[in-house]
Amino acid sequence: MSLKIYFSFLLTFIFIQVIFAQSRYNLSGTIRDANTGETLIGATVRLTGKTSIATSTNNYGYYALTQPEGEYDVIISYAGYVSAVKRIILNKDIKFNEELKSANDLSDVTISAKNRKNENVKSAQMGLERVDMKSLNSIPVLLGEKDILKTIQLLPGVKSGGEGNTGFYVRGGAADQNLIILDEAVVYNSSHLLGFFSTFNADAIKDVSLYKGGMPAQYGGRLSSVLDVKMDDGNNKEFRFQGGIGLIASRLKAEGPIVKDKGSFMVSFRRTYIDLFLQASSDSSINGSTLNFYDINAKANYKIDDKNTIYLSGYFGKDNIGVKDLFENNWGNVTTTLRLNHIFSDRLFSNTSLIYNNYNYTVRLLNDVTNFKATSLVRDFNLKQDFQYFSNKHTVRFGLNATHHRISPIDITTTQTSQVNPLSQEKRYGLESALYVSDEWAATDRLNFLYGLRAAAFSLLGPGNFSTYNASGNILTTEPVERGKFYKNYLNLEPRFSVSYLFNDENSIKASYNRNTQNIHILTNATSSSPTDQYVLSSNNIKPEIADQIAVGYFKNLQENNYELSGEVYYKWLQNQIEYKNAAQLLANSSVESELLYGTGRAYGLELFFKKKFGKLNGWIGYTLSKTERKFAELNNGNYFPARQDRTHDISVVGIYNLSNRWTFSSSYIYSTGNAVTFPAGKYTIGGQTAYYYTERNAGRMPYNMRLDVSATLEPRKRGKYESSWNFGIYNLLARKNPYSIEFKTDPTNPNKTIAEQTSLFGLIPSVTWNFKF
Amino acid sequence: MKKTLTYLCLLSLFFTSCKKIISIDTNDAPPQIVIEGKITDKLAVQQIKLTKTVSYDADLNFPAVSGATVRVGDSRGNNYIFTETAPGVYTNRMRGVSGVTYNLVVNADGQNYTASSRMPNNVKLDSIGVVLNSFFGSDRKTAVAYLVDPAGETNFYHFNLYVNEYLSQRFYVSNDRLTNGNPLRVQLFFKSNNNNNDSDELNSNDKVRIELECIDSNVFDYWYALNEQSGRGPNQGTTPANPTSNISNNALGYFSAHTYQTLNMVVR
Repeated sequence: MSLKIYFSFLLTFIFIQVIFAQSRYNLSGTIRDANTGETLIGATVRLTGKTSIATSTNNYGYYALTQPEGEYDVIISYAGYVSAVKRIILNKDIKFNEELKSANDLSDVTISAKNRKNENVKSAQMGLERVDMKSLNSIPVLLGEKDILKTIQLLPGVKSGGEGNTGFYVRGGAADQNLIILDEAVVYNSSHLLGFFSTFNADAIKDVSLYKGGMPAQYGGRLSSVLDVKMDDGNNKEFRFQGGIGLIASRLKAEGPIVKDKGSFMVSFRRTYIDLFLQASSDSSINGSTLNFYDINAKANYKIDDKNTIYLSGYFGKDNIGVKDLFENNWGNVTTTLRLNHIFSDRLFSNTSLIYNNYNYTVRLLNDVTNFKATSLVRDFNLKQDFQYFSNKHTVRFGLNATHHRISPIDITTTQTSQVNPLSQEKRYGLESALYVSDEWAATDRLNFLYGLRAAAFSLLGPGNFSTYNASGNILTTEPVERGKFYKNYLNLEPRFSVSYLFNDENSIKASYNRNTQNIHILTNATSSSPTDQYVLSSNNIKPEIADQIAVGYFKNLQENNYELSGEVYYKWLQNQIEYKNAAQLLANSSVESELLYGTGRAYGLELFFKKKFGKLNGWIGYTLSKTERKFAELNNGNYFPARQDRTHDISVVGIYNLSNRWTFSSSYIYSTGNAVTFPAGKYTIGGQTAYYYTERNAGRMPYNMRLDVSATLEPRKRGKYESSWNFGIYNLLARKNPYSIEFKTDPTNPNKTIAEQTSLFGLIPSVTWNFKF
Repeated sequence: MKKTLTYLCLLSLFFTSCKKIISIDTNDAPPQIVIEGKITDKLAVQQIKLTKTVSYDADLNFPAVSGATVRVGDSRGNNYIFTETAPGVYTNRMRGVSGVTYNLVVNADGQNYTASSRMPNNVKLDSIGVVLNSFFGSDRKTAVAYLVDPAGETNFYHFNLYVNEYLSQRFYVSNDRLTNGNPLRVQLFFKSNNNNNDSDELNSNDKVRIELECIDSNVFDYWYALNEQSGRGPNQGTTPANPTSNISNNALGYFSAHTYQTLNMVVR
């Protein structure tokens, strides 16, 4: 079936569904925080009367509902806020904006049971995890630097990239198969300091959603997950400042109205000061070295009128590492997003975004003989047009997305004295474009659907010389292509389908199927993300990666939605996965595509999740049982082998205890099977040295990981607007030596023997952080 | 080196990295044949060694493969029979020539193994020396080799470094992909077999010997792959695998026809 038929079929179907809803009245508006004017994402708006209906606010706090004429109670609720109830008479279309008060006292947090949401049971959406920014503050982390990427690793189905690392793997996917977006802009490298910290400064973040499966059709471009991060809009009522001083970094954020109640801004800055210790050294070679990162988040919005709001947001971050007279390495991301929210009618909400983002790095070697400067850049221009149409039982989303990529793999410049030659590897250009439509349909009180289709096209553009290779990696043909010419095109249709069936308000089953494709790929030999990771586009050699995932789940809430319980099973098929040949040279290699191998993969697993949401003690327990395998004709005799991140068992337990208004205690515990690794099956002598003989790929296991972290937060009494808090933490309380790597070497005490030496990164690490707000 | 360590500690701030010896479960594979064959451009006793692998936790005592027939033919129609002069060591006094392809045929334990390698042109090893590297404030002596890479061809180099006739436990391999046509100063960092950084320093009166082999591209890939994996274990860098050998029938090892030069010096 052609694309056109698919689309017209889907559009007609949705249109017929929607048209029934016309002879009713509409209630719409925006829900905000009463103190800051910040819009609330995902707040529940419930209309009860003759009939009852509920919806959630969208990413801009906007909602719209349709009901027959009558008298209704509008109940607006949001976790951590005091619910609002208003009586309205719906006899015409009504605009109803509301501001909710934040529930700061413990007594308020015990939200009355009837207002607790059962969205997790009811919604057709599967595999979605929302990170609660409030609990994020109390979850213990390495060096007290709170981090959303480390917090999501505590969720079932999400595996950590390594000890203290912000890289993550979702349901058997690779680290480069996560779509990480900050205010719609792709963040290519989400790590600072070689992965120990993420680029997301929690102070500046308002909302974090992670889709492990069942991605709605508006998201595309990566196989395994979507991490949608949204920045704070800023307080539109008064000027506020907040900040913190920690062991590793300090933070400062300012926000306030541009025009009261109409526009606001937010600027947040964070910088490490490890290098201040270096500067303090009396040794000239040490105090000339650098080691730091900083990032700036900034955002401004202005409500032009009731129908138009404009947003401008940006991120700028940089890491610098350098040793005097030896080398320098710096890298960073830049993102800029300009957005216009336009309300065409009470029912049609439009969001237009123009996005620029880049990731770049520079490596400089400074010695006199091999000096060079190497730079690399990935740059995107992106246009997104998204429409949301709200009707009685449908929320329809449709839109388009077009991204122009430019990749400069490497440019090397040198001085006259250098023995390295200048090199400029050919740039690559690509255009990713997509059309999508999806419908969230409350078919009956018990049956909900979320279904859609995304048509994703990719074109590799000229100029460039594109080569084909034989099996041993030699060039067969090279075709020069002119600027602007479409050299290679791919079109993939990505169906997305989720359904939920409610047995009652507290029990449901859900099922989903989705296909995702990916046209930009990372080539790296490193275990964790590295600043010099190389990006390549799909080409005549590299086919788009494809993933198909099915998932089935059972969801149950207990004690009036205080407890959430869920179990999901998934199975995922992966196509056109990328691996490297032996001795692959990935950097500064214009024939890098000749170094690649292509294969398939499969991943399946069970995820159990139990969460207590309210009360003095809250937290969760997550368990994942999973298997992740890859298959390449050229590797492991063509048999399936475990992917490196294949960990059979993964357990995480998070507990937060609010002892009083002043003290909060929290702890997290993780256990996971060790990574799949290749151990030697023998050894031999070659070139006068001992080498190891390998048979099955990744058939061995690293020792298991286990860690207990604890923290305590003290909040002294507020004095007027001034608030402060102390956070004390201990990372790895049990001081367990978790495996980071294993090295095989000759036993120093017996040169005839081989030993396996395990390196662990972190022992017990205490931390203290002071935060303030005024 | 103490200062380096101090610096690394600072660098990692509170990252209290630590090491311990662990035992691992490995599957012992049955012994495999390892062939290490070299033909050089010097008129000398050329050696082809046949050994077997041992299990991971066995002593470093590699059994010789005796009673094999070993033969090398070249593209000019010459045939050289290699005879076993010591257990597992097969020799023939001959000289290889640049531009000629050598074909190895080994029959051992009823299996046939073949390989071929084309001897590249020689690139002159001009001189060797010692340079002083300032490493976080401490000066460190490093052995270097000087040569001029020819512009018109692709070159692959393999070095061996001996300090007091002790072979450095690293694989030194390079190509001219980024340095074609330039005078080269190649640094060779010494690594002894005990895991002590301090004994890796070059001291005054140390005797340094550097061998340069100009190798073909398959042999380069072999050394490069070994080097990528050495000193790195699981969970670091590339997933380890056996380097792609130019020998058929799944034999481990390599067969290399290369030019050979060696230079000596004493560290002052």
